[in-house]
Amino acid sequence: MDWGVMLSYLPLYRDALLLTLRIGWQGVALALALGVVCALTLHLRLPVLRQIVTAYIELFRNTPLLVQLFFLYFALPKVGVRLSPDACGTLGLGLLGGAYMAETFRSGLDNIPTIQSESAQSLGMTRLQAFRYVILPQAVSSSVPGLVANVVFLLKETSVFSTISLMDLMFTAKDLIGMYAKTLECLTLLVVFYLIMLLPVSFLGSAIERRLRYAEFGDRRTV
Amino acid sequence: MQSLGIDVLFKGRNLLRLLGGLWVAVRISLISVALSIVLGLLIGVLMTGKSPVLRGVFRLYLETVRILPQMVLLFIVYFGTTRLFGWNLSAEVSAVFVFTFWGAAEMGDLVRGAILSIPSIQRESAQALGMTPRQVYGYVILPQTVRRLIPLSINLITRMIKTTSLVMMIGMVEVLKVAQQIIEANRRTSPNAAFGLFAVVFLLYFAICWPISRLAGYLEKRWA
Amino acid sequence: MKFSTWKRITAVALALALTFALAACGKGDSGAAPAGDAGSDAAGFRTLDEIKASGTVNIGVFSDKSPFGYVDENGDYQGYDVYFAQRIGEDLGVEVNYVSTEAANRIEYLQTGKVDIILANFTVTEERAQEVDFALPYMNVALGVVSPDERVITSLDELGADDEVIVISGTTAETYLEKNNPEIKLQKYDAYAEAKTALENGNGAAWANDNTEVIAFAIENPGYTVGIPSLGSADTIAPAVTKGNDTLLNWLNDEIMALGAENFFHTDYEATLLDTYGADYEDTLVVEGGVTAG
Repeated sequence: MDWGVMLSYLPLYRDALLLTLRIGWQGVALALALGVVCALTLHLRLPVLRQIVTAYIELFRNTPLLVQLFFLYFALPKVGVRLSPDACGTLGLGLLGGAYMAETFRSGLDNIPTIQSESAQSLGMTRLQAFRYVILPQAVSSSVPGLVANVVFLLKETSVFSTISLMDLMFTAKDLIGMYAKTLECLTLLVVFYLIMLLPVSFLGSAIERRLRYAEFGDRRTV
Repeated sequence: MQSLGIDVLFKGRNLLRLLGGLWVAVRISLISVALSIVLGLLIGVLMTGKSPVLRGVFRLYLETVRILPQMVLLFIVYFGTTRLFGWNLSAEVSAVFVFTFWGAAEMGDLVRGAILSIPSIQRESAQALGMTPRQVYGYVILPQTVRRLIPLSINLITRMIKTTSLVMMIGMVEVLKVAQQIIEANRRTSPNAAFGLFAVVFLLYFAICWPISRLAGYLEKRWA
Repeated sequence: MKFSTWKRITAVALALALTFALAACGKGDSGAAPAGDAGSDAAGFRTLDEIKASGTVNIGVFSDKSPFGYVDENGDYQGYDVYFAQRIGEDLGVEVNYVSTEAANRIEYLQTGKVDIILANFTVTEERAQEVDFALPYMNVALGVVSPDERVITSLDELGADDEVIVISGTTAETYLEKNNPEIKLQKYDAYAEAKTALENGNGAAWANDNTEVIAFAIENPGYTVGIPSLGSADTIAPAVTKGNDTLLNWLNDEIMALGAENFFHTDYEATLLDTYGADYEDTLVVEGGVTAG
């Protein structure tokens, strides 16, 4: 193990980490937004939209991100739609994540017995109030473990970004191995940097999970 | 508008090659899932055991697998092990190894969850009826566990099939790589083949994974 | 539930495990030997006799780099490199097992013994020669840059601040530009197919690679011009074997010299490259018998 070499690679890995985080969070934000919209569409059983959302969820849950990215980045320009690698990464991660987030939110919403909404309305709340003050808080808290798992999953999935020329952690490692063949050094740094990125998320997740658990009956971990 | 590459599919053995590439993906996942189920059952049972050390070790194993991207694991196993230990694993063996390593952990956790979800009163009643611990496991706990597990492990198959798309990165020629090769060989005659081929690959994955996850969903509802 | 406690323990244990792993690697390397050596010793390679006895030789070639190494619609490997590989198999009296490689994996494949020979348009460079052993050359090469006709790049100075140049990870073009023109923004891909598609899709202002390759691309794809036909030093392309695999290296050198007598590489050119390059490039590209003109 050549420590000097590893030290000299650090700035490259740091840049890669920042890029991974930037696109990762953009993608996660998009995924959350998409997930909420889709989950509500399904929960409220909106006609037509519901079928579209279901098709979207099934399509993206049942295909690999790598293939989705290839399609977005290499295939779409052939029909005139050209996106930057950044946009593709964000969009790909967002679309994939949206499908997963939607499922998590939906099961959170559907897990609340309808009698609660009915009772709230019979107490004089409007549908919106019942949703806002009774259903949503419980749904959110019961979705949190699933959401955190999704975020970790999405950040891990960023490792395929290298194929669309984004210089993420994986790419940096592969590229350096290709140029200088310091395999062990590069792989060790790769593992260390993934831990730096993912451990805090995972910790944060379990902290939030504990805080929110008061809203739950028993152990209903959905991960 | 030039052709979008669908015609290229029907040239020579291209379509067959693409399906062959898909089969590589499916084969790796099936082997890995089979191994994962066997190992996962074992790990799951051990994880519910009394020894805190054993539980700790498996917890550590599970968290490690969960936190590292599969691609990183693939690289470590394919390139790293040769460097460190001098093992020369083929890409396919490495892939099966990594997927099993990952699958066994996930499966173990599922098994643990399934075992714990069986009310302890059943175990106690069985013991009260004079069954030995082995009998309790064999006749009471495991049959119910397996039933709960089947939909979950079917889900794992689709996750694996999707993840196999990564083996291209360690030089295996699977469906995505075949698609690239076809695009390359026909670049001159159909420059837009990328669209058709990547669309077809996208749909192929969907065609394999969707029915499987539907089946899992159906079983989950029925057996829950 | 004690999840966070577990995670904390996990983190600490992971950190410990890593430290151990690092320490172990440190020991394995013993001394200040170049990192490449430690690996190849551990992995080992197959000597000439072992290859002959096994009945197959593993040769790493490109599978998406037409016309040098690619796979045709019947699933067969074809191209200038493959034509030579096929001959090596015949003369060794063994089957050839083609291993599809990416540019960035070539050194790794040799050092880990995953292939016996790399025949994937491998340019001889000093850095690489420290990691692998090159046999005699069989082709001339320099770097070249191809760009769309709408905006032909004829000099690197023409590249604006926003322009990105497409390169393939692990190629000499990448190393050259990183070293000599660090101000140019590179867009890096793993595979030839990806880089070419990216150029077609307009993701970069130009594509820098071996000039043989960019010339071929411009000839095969109307709408592109090689604005910079030669960049950097004139290099050669040669087969490579794992460092220290002398029996195989000597055999390859003898083979290349012997093939010179029958003008093999000219035949190879005519069979695989003539369609692309025409006859004009034959003498510029081909190196016969391992003897370079200059």
